[in-house]
Amino acid sequence: MNTIFESLQQFWGYTGFANMTGQHVIMIAIGIIFITLAIVKDWEPLLLIPIGFGMIIGNIPFVSGLNIGIYEEGSVMNILYQGVQKGWYPPLIFLGIGAMTDFSALISQPRLMLIGAAAQIGIFGAYVIALHMGFTPAESGAIGIIGGADGPTAIFLSSKLAPHQMGAIAVSAYSYMALVPVIQRPIMLLLTTKKERLIRMAPPRQVSQKEKIIFPIVGFILTAMIVPSGMPLLGMLFFGNLLKESGVTKRLAETARGPLIDVVTILIGITVGCSTQADEFLTGDSIKIFLLGLLSFVIATTCGVLFVKFMNLFCKEGRKINPLIGNAGVSAVPDAARVSQNVGREFDKNNHLLMHAMAPNVAGVIGSAVAAGILLSFLG
Amino acid sequence: MLLQTSPTVAQKSADMLVKDPHGVIITLVSVLVVFCALVILYFAYTFIGKLSSGQIDLSAFFRKFRKQAKARKTAEGNSAEEVAAAIALALDQEMNGEVYAAIGMAMHQYLNDTVHDMESYIITIRRK
Repeated sequence: MNTIFESLQQFWGYTGFANMTGQHVIMIAIGIIFITLAIVKDWEPLLLIPIGFGMIIGNIPFVSGLNIGIYEEGSVMNILYQGVQKGWYPPLIFLGIGAMTDFSALISQPRLMLIGAAAQIGIFGAYVIALHMGFTPAESGAIGIIGGADGPTAIFLSSKLAPHQMGAIAVSAYSYMALVPVIQRPIMLLLTTKKERLIRMAPPRQVSQKEKIIFPIVGFILTAMIVPSGMPLLGMLFFGNLLKESGVTKRLAETARGPLIDVVTILIGITVGCSTQADEFLTGDSIKIFLLGLLSFVIATTCGVLFVKFMNLFCKEGRKINPLIGNAGVSAVPDAARVSQNVGREFDKNNHLLMHAMAPNVAGVIGSAVAAGILLSFLG
Repeated sequence: MLLQTSPTVAQKSADMLVKDPHGVIITLVSVLVVFCALVILYFAYTFIGKLSSGQIDLSAFFRKFRKQAKARKTAEGNSAEEVAAAIALALDQEMNGEVYAAIGMAMHQYLNDTVHDMESYIITIRRK
């Protein structure tokens, strides 16, 4: 009888209930909140559900040594986590993004590309502030990239510069990407006048197939020559787009933008969520990272909108740009462009800004990959 | 146990903290590079767009280039004729018998191939 009790007691010691702490409960609750937001509010469900569930997995307490934890060498989760740790999931996601993105809006209006560059100031603004808050330059660079509003880029850079903060950075980046409509709208309204919001832009010209094919080749050569350290992201992005536009690799393009990106999204979401273990995640630094992430989004949006207003000083009447597309300079594709469209239609129901906003939006993807490459070459 | 920053990154980061403690330099350089990259793309795609929409006619450019090259060639041909005429005139005025003899000898040697030694092109191997 005694042996049975001892065995049960021993077993109880192995259970999650026996090892549970308040921090674990908080993290599991955050995971459940993420899942709820994704289902009820439809906020980035493809990301928040895997991340939320990953948080729950990563915060089930266990006795170490069973080779099951994400940080235990050789465990299943650890093997899946290699894609995040070594930075090969993000380029695969970029391959899929390239294969599903239509760059026509950008090709037809190349001047809007500059808005994508202006919005990247958010990254470096957050870098300076993070540095002053006591983070090291490498950590600051990894935190700053949240302002690029690009989850895969944030994971890619933080895996190289600050792997110990990757969980907080990734969760912060994806959370704010989901909150783009909430964060950007008030800034856009604050910085624009009613007259500016009513500006109608000329419809973009038709882009030939030849131009669409040349775009990824020229784009990759030029950007990779300038920032070779951004090659994994830029290379896969433009390669994916070439698969789409070449017209002769339909099967490959379908795979890249379908099953491949889906598989990698599942793996990246679940492992990033899993990496947010309570004892390391619930720290003062994580709270600071969340604040800095929000700040970098605010700076990026502000710079994008203000830059459009600056460009308008030099544009002739009829060529003026609606500043409501300035927010789309961040690379949250297509959410940021959708915000431009929705806010624009609040003031003029027939003013469709989506196509115009897609140009800075996809330029933002390129810009954030370039910015990540620069930070990596300075600090990596 | 979380992953740690690699020693190289830590070293670079420490160096950067000394060189640029406020992050201003890295910010300015980075923003400049991002803008440069996208400005270069802007120019490239503007050019490609104009080319594609026919605003820039490359075939006209090549036609013009070929025309210019042809005109240059004709001009060069004319000048060669003028130079030949000038040499002929100078020879006619300045030459004496010795110059004619030297030119004749040089041409004779050249035409009979006696300027250089002739080789037999036969290689012999002596057996031991």
